[in-house]
Amino acid sequence: MRSHPAEYEIVSPGTLPGVLRLLDEQPGQWLPVAGATEVMVMFSAGKLGARRLVNLSNLPELQSIRDNAKTLTLGGGCTFSQIRNCSAVHKHFPLLAQAASWTGSIANQNRATLAGNLANASPAADSPPALLAYDAELELVSARETRRMPYREFHLGYKKTALRPGELILSVTLKKHYDGYFLYGRKTGARNAQAISKVCVAGIGRLHDGRAMNVRIGIGAVASAPLRLFGVEQAVEGKRIDDQVIAAARRALDAEIAPIDDIRSIAEYRRWVAGNLVVEFLRTLAASGDTFNPVLARWNALPPTEAAEEILPCCGSTRWARELAALQPLSTPEEVLQAADRVWSDIGPEDWDEAFRSHPRIGDRRPAAHATAQSATWSQQEQSAAATQDAHTLAELAAANAEYEHRFGRIFLVCATGKTAAKMLEILRTRLSNDEATELRETAEQERQITQLRLRKWLGL
Amino acid sequence: MNPQRYRLRVNGDVRTVETHGMARLLDVLRFDLRLTGTKEGCGEGECGACSVLMNGDLVNSCLVPVAQAEGTTIETVEGLGNDERLHAVQRAFLECGGAQCGMCTPGMLVATAHLLKKNPQPDLEAIREGLNGNLCRCTGYTRIFEAVERAVSLAGEERA
Repeated sequence: MRSHPAEYEIVSPGTLPGVLRLLDEQPGQWLPVAGATEVMVMFSAGKLGARRLVNLSNLPELQSIRDNAKTLTLGGGCTFSQIRNCSAVHKHFPLLAQAASWTGSIANQNRATLAGNLANASPAADSPPALLAYDAELELVSARETRRMPYREFHLGYKKTALRPGELILSVTLKKHYDGYFLYGRKTGARNAQAISKVCVAGIGRLHDGRAMNVRIGIGAVASAPLRLFGVEQAVEGKRIDDQVIAAARRALDAEIAPIDDIRSIAEYRRWVAGNLVVEFLRTLAASGDTFNPVLARWNALPPTEAAEEILPCCGSTRWARELAALQPLSTPEEVLQAADRVWSDIGPEDWDEAFRSHPRIGDRRPAAHATAQSATWSQQEQSAAATQDAHTLAELAAANAEYEHRFGRIFLVCATGKTAAKMLEILRTRLSNDEATELRETAEQERQITQLRLRKWLGL
Repeated sequence: MNPQRYRLRVNGDVRTVETHGMARLLDVLRFDLRLTGTKEGCGEGECGACSVLMNGDLVNSCLVPVAQAEGTTIETVEGLGNDERLHAVQRAFLECGGAQCGMCTPGMLVATAHLLKKNPQPDLEAIREGLNGNLCRCTGYTRIFEAVERAVSLAGEERA
């Protein structure tokens, strides 16, 4: 039975002090509502108990992101779209970016907020495991005081939190000290998009002399609230991850979780999957090696000229390779990918052209004159989806290539991975109508995408 | 509670409605403003049939209390194009047969327009992600994805 809007009141004080005053003066009377993605579902189902709501969606105080040298502070009102589009989140807290991308659909991510996700306190919410693994800190605010609390102390039971009457989550702070950590995030659900988790796990840790260090694991949907797996962490800390330690971790996990049967899964399945995910995390952590990316570690140790030579096939521009090599050591694969983009946009058209010339024509099986052997091999892989014996398409492609080369004075370049010959022909024809400046930018963008894919292959990502 | 006045800019025009703050934006659009292009599917933010743009962001209008839409700019499927001049996305869906029963179509169109605004050259993975909040129970999605790819080309031609 749907609720009738006339039975409800919603007010918008418009400022944080205004909201806090209302919550303070009439304690327990007002339900704060931010993105409304939970409240409106309850409302429409006729299950919204609260009759008076106070709107938080228009409070700028809750929406700021403060990116400091050592910490990142996300306002409680940040939406999951803001979080997944925030470069500092990607760089320093990729598990949180991943969790944000798992939270509902794009439309829901545009509305749902981080604080709403925590205060709503669903045991199956997507962001808590990552925040637990990163050991986030909350700032809570009321008309009377502001206080800080480790997030790990926030959830007290099913839908029960440490929030006092009249209190809101002002912000979530994360310490930027996880560079070089091994990260693991995995969610199981009925479908890839906007599924509520059956089990979701986030784990971080390091290896030192083959021993697990600083391991922290957050898990959702296996207890009355999101959990830090303190028992598992203790069972593996300082140990070599062998079968015996894995068995001890499984026993600790079994004692810590209390999954239930519900509409999405059954307790027994959740228990098995939770165990499998935690073991997968521990085994991949153990296999990650002291240096988490062996290719990068070896590359960081190379003399600059050799380092430049090794990455040259990823792009084709000598200056790009030289300038990226000058940034050694790069501590994470993520950093390599970002630096590669930066250098690429900095070097400009002359050096871009050298990179363009290292590629074969689309549809042409012969390597470019300037290509390294590795580059030629990659080109073949990239164009594999386009491999066609269809003489008609090939002839059309050859003709369009010729027209393009006549018009722009270089070969047509497109990030070919996964594209069919027909698709590339279509793109080629569209791009023939670009003016020269637009087409140069487009070509540089395609080369950038190719470079990113090749760097990933090189790094074994 | 007594109704209140809310002002929204809808498809370019400032509109005022007198209603309850918890009225769903979906109902305000359909019943108060008679913009019935926006559909109600599930009514709980799962299916995307009620997708509209609010200040340029894709949202499910069934999950927006009108009090939170006060002062915002709303674009519905009616704002995409008109009978004389269809939006590139609409033309692409027509050409490719991207609609069957039509219930999800307005939401698909709005979500696609939003996707192409954020990412004018999406690959298939980006298309699938951009539309993952829009359910279609007829087409099996293949023609919808083809329509989006076609819309990318049409929009490119329009820009050129």
